[in-house]
Amino acid sequence: MSWKNVKLIFLREVRDQLRDRRTLFMVAVLPLLLYPSLGIGLISQLTSVNEQTRTVVALGANDLPQPALIDGDHFVHLKDDHLGSSADAEISFDNIRVVTPENLTTFSEEDQKALSGFIDKAKQRQTELERLAWLQSQLPAEVPETYTPEQSRMRHEEFELRDSLQSLFDGGKVQVLIVFPADFNRRLTSIEESLASGEIGANETINIPAPVVIYNGANEKSGLAFSTVASALRSWERELLSRRLRRLDLPSSLPRPVQPVAADLAQAEELAANMWSKLFPALLVMMSVTGAFYPAVDLGAGEKERGTMETLLISPATRTEIVLGKFFTVMLFSLTTALLNVLSMGITGLQMASQVGASSPQLGDMSLPSWPSLMAVVLIAIPLASLFSALSLAIAMFARSSKEGQYYLSPLLMATLGLTMFCSNPTYELDPYKSVLPVIGPALLLKALLLGTMPPVELLGYTATVLAASAFYSGCAIWWAIELFQREDVLFREVERFDPRLWIRHLLRDKEPTPTRGEAVFCFVIIAVLQFVFMMRMPAILAANNSPSALPILQTIYLIVTVALPPALMAILLTSDPLGTLRLRLPSQSRMEGISDVVSFIANPVKALFRRMLRRPGLGMMVVGFVLPIVLLPISLELINSLSWFFPPAPPGMDRVMEGMQSSQVPVWLSLVAFAVAPAFCEELAFRGFILSGLQKSRNKWVPIIVSAVLFGMIHLIPKQIFNASLLGLVLGLLAVRSRSLWPGVIFHLIYNGMQVGMARMQPEWLESGVAKLFFTVDMSSGSPDPRFNMLTLLISGLASAVLIGGLIRRHSESEPSPSMNLEGEPTPHAV
Amino acid sequence: MIHVDKLTKQFKDLREGHVTVLDSVSFEVKPGEIFGLLGPNGAGKTTCLRILSTVLQPSSGRAFVAGYDVAEHPEDVRANIGFMSCNTGIYDRMTAWEMVEYYGRLYGIPETQLRERLEQIFTQLQMNDFRDVFCSKMSTGMKQKVSIARTIVHDPPVLIFDEPTSGLDVLVARAVLQAVEQLRDAGKCIIFSTHIMREVEKLCNRVAIIHKGRILATGTVEELVEKYNQPDIEEVFFALIERSDHPAEAVT
Repeated sequence: MSWKNVKLIFLREVRDQLRDRRTLFMVAVLPLLLYPSLGIGLISQLTSVNEQTRTVVALGANDLPQPALIDGDHFVHLKDDHLGSSADAEISFDNIRVVTPENLTTFSEEDQKALSGFIDKAKQRQTELERLAWLQSQLPAEVPETYTPEQSRMRHEEFELRDSLQSLFDGGKVQVLIVFPADFNRRLTSIEESLASGEIGANETINIPAPVVIYNGANEKSGLAFSTVASALRSWERELLSRRLRRLDLPSSLPRPVQPVAADLAQAEELAANMWSKLFPALLVMMSVTGAFYPAVDLGAGEKERGTMETLLISPATRTEIVLGKFFTVMLFSLTTALLNVLSMGITGLQMASQVGASSPQLGDMSLPSWPSLMAVVLIAIPLASLFSALSLAIAMFARSSKEGQYYLSPLLMATLGLTMFCSNPTYELDPYKSVLPVIGPALLLKALLLGTMPPVELLGYTATVLAASAFYSGCAIWWAIELFQREDVLFREVERFDPRLWIRHLLRDKEPTPTRGEAVFCFVIIAVLQFVFMMRMPAILAANNSPSALPILQTIYLIVTVALPPALMAILLTSDPLGTLRLRLPSQSRMEGISDVVSFIANPVKALFRRMLRRPGLGMMVVGFVLPIVLLPISLELINSLSWFFPPAPPGMDRVMEGMQSSQVPVWLSLVAFAVAPAFCEELAFRGFILSGLQKSRNKWVPIIVSAVLFGMIHLIPKQIFNASLLGLVLGLLAVRSRSLWPGVIFHLIYNGMQVGMARMQPEWLESGVAKLFFTVDMSSGSPDPRFNMLTLLISGLASAVLIGGLIRRHSESEPSPSMNLEGEPTPHAV
Repeated sequence: MIHVDKLTKQFKDLREGHVTVLDSVSFEVKPGEIFGLLGPNGAGKTTCLRILSTVLQPSSGRAFVAGYDVAEHPEDVRANIGFMSCNTGIYDRMTAWEMVEYYGRLYGIPETQLRERLEQIFTQLQMNDFRDVFCSKMSTGMKQKVSIARTIVHDPPVLIFDEPTSGLDVLVARAVLQAVEQLRDAGKCIIFSTHIMREVEKLCNRVAIIHKGRILATGTVEELVEKYNQPDIEEVFFALIERSDHPAEAVT
């Protein structure tokens, strides 16, 4: 590969994009114009929303007890120092005008007409309104399972009333109606007097006709006005209470025995940081995607469409060089778009703050984060841009035309949007596991950096892992793009009419001995979807059936139906050699050789393993499948245990599964079937059978094994298990490819899982025995005995595993490509 | 210079299943000669030439261009050929000069040498009038000249033209054919695919008639006319195609 060519292609593409007005508009002009104009729009919108006055009509408010609730056409602000009442204090009464029949004349003539009409209507229906309020206060807030006859009658009446009063606020002139009962002041005063004279004892209930506030919660304006009215009434009521207490010679603080106070430590800049920490990661991710996508489509599908791709293909530049040159171009534009957007948004934010800030202090200080934080934004933008650029480029290479390419944008955008939504959740914070996830890692790291609450040492560690993980993912995506670019069927895909019937006929007719890569991936998708459906139904089934054996039985059915059935059916339907695809044939080797292998294995184990077992696949591979899990188990369990800090804790549902393995109520054979035999057969059939066979169409020797291992990991759902299963998947994949048979892997899987079932069922007494002491040390730190393998066992396990796996790897890298790889393009006999 | 030996190419197709686009094709082209590949649309001409230019991989058989195996040393092959077809577009947002210069650089020509070469080509092809015009603003004839300039910028010993005149008006087509002729006279090894008989008669030293992925006949125009006892190459062509499509009728 020549970097000179990469640079040449990069420079040309950049110049080309800069000469394209559409790209320039997307990358530079749009962000520079978008946010200021959005900002201006927002400010004008905000002010218009705030200035809109809402109308509250109060009936019977002419004679209310002191202090005054209404002054002219406004509510009176009363002092309130309850905890949390600062939120009330922020509610402005300025945009609420209170209309009473008495102050009606102060409004404009037009208003008077409309409002007096409303007042008349409200007065007419006053009894109905009061009845409705009373009914609603009597009925339970939550709909009960069954109503008493009385309740049901009331509910019915309430429903009818509500229906008939529905039109009260029609016209939108009035948002809230307050109805004070007649003689409210007089009756309240008489109660006060009775209280003062001691006529009312502690045990008597005070019945006072309640003022009724009518609003329509389904109407946003009415709802907002209601909360203001409620706040005004609340502080008025508190004020009345303290006056009552004074009259009774009681301290006004009587109803507040606790009087908690709160102190807010937030500084203005922290409030700002909080806001930016929510905005910037989401913006950066979204804009990296869009900034990458449009140039990528132009550079990939667009170039195919314009016919310049073939011109480039016949130049001396290799395909890797072409893809890399284009990748760097896309990345440059993605980065520029993302950073310009952040910059433009930041500046607009500052501008807005300086305009709005003076009038509304609650917006807080919008000052930008510190310089180091801003540098972090730039730093994090790089891995994000590189991942999205590589992904977009791969998609663009795949698309036949720019139009097709554009269609792929929305799924990509939706997926990233979903991820960023997660990240803006305040409870979702960076931890070791999340730091290695794509997109989520960088976004959370950026959030942490902007919030500035994480200790620097920890932050530095996370930065390193996030960058390393992102580099890895970008590398994979670039590799994928190059891989796609090497494929003739992708490069010269022709726009053809898609006919499902034709396609199905093609699938069933033009069978090849092994499935295509697409079919392999599709098989995985089917398994994943079935698994999802099964998981949704599982809790209900288990809840209905409480027997401890239900879970193992269900697990077995689940494995057969969702994991084994799809690959088996697909192999029969879609390939001309189902047995070969699923690798169901025994490892090929004559019987004599097999026996001599065993003999020499017994006579000279190490030598035999080296010379025979690994050199010639056959019975030897079966023996490897038998021995390897036994020696591998201690070291792999230890590895998982020592990494458990890294993974998020297992979800609670897992306990039930563990119980299924451990519970002594479940017969041992059932545990073994559900957790060892069924997984061994079903999962091997799917992942080392159909999927690996399909993936082996790739030229690369290692990629199919790695991809099938990762897919195998992914169906284990829990991060820790995903990691564990992926590692085992690598060994199983190697075993399957080397032996060209599924059976050594089945044996491996069976023994590995069987041993785990055995360990889960180990009795505590057994650990005390002499044999156990050879292998285990018992860790009592967690309170209950936790057997851990001792150092010697681990050492032997590690060494033996390394020798065996190393042997497999060495043989694999020396091996000729497997026969299925040479099949491409060769005529294959059609299945008749 | 070009040696093609039993070249076969298969594609997968939804409708047809596995389609053999190129079936055991063999021929040879020497320097200073124009080899014509004559065939109807879909005969496999483009596929054959794409394999020679290493854009496609052969399913079986071998091909050598300028001494290099196309499957094993694609980079060396590409450095030694100039390829032009109706599919090899030019960049809209580049000027003629930039376009040719860009490819010159990709071929690794040193800068000073490249400038001389560009001046020479632009004069030779009479392209100096529009050297700073964006390709999107050019007429078809101008674009074709840019394509030719791009094809020969590195002075390759082997040139592959895949229907270079398709869709061109007569004047431009004539200019292209003249350019091809000049290149032959300069001793280049040229392979030229077309479905236009006149071009073959005028231009090609030898010709292969290709139909449904198979070469039906190879030879000079005169040899073919004589061998199949037809008045001209056009009749030879139709007779051969007729015979290949309906072998039974041809016998009777």
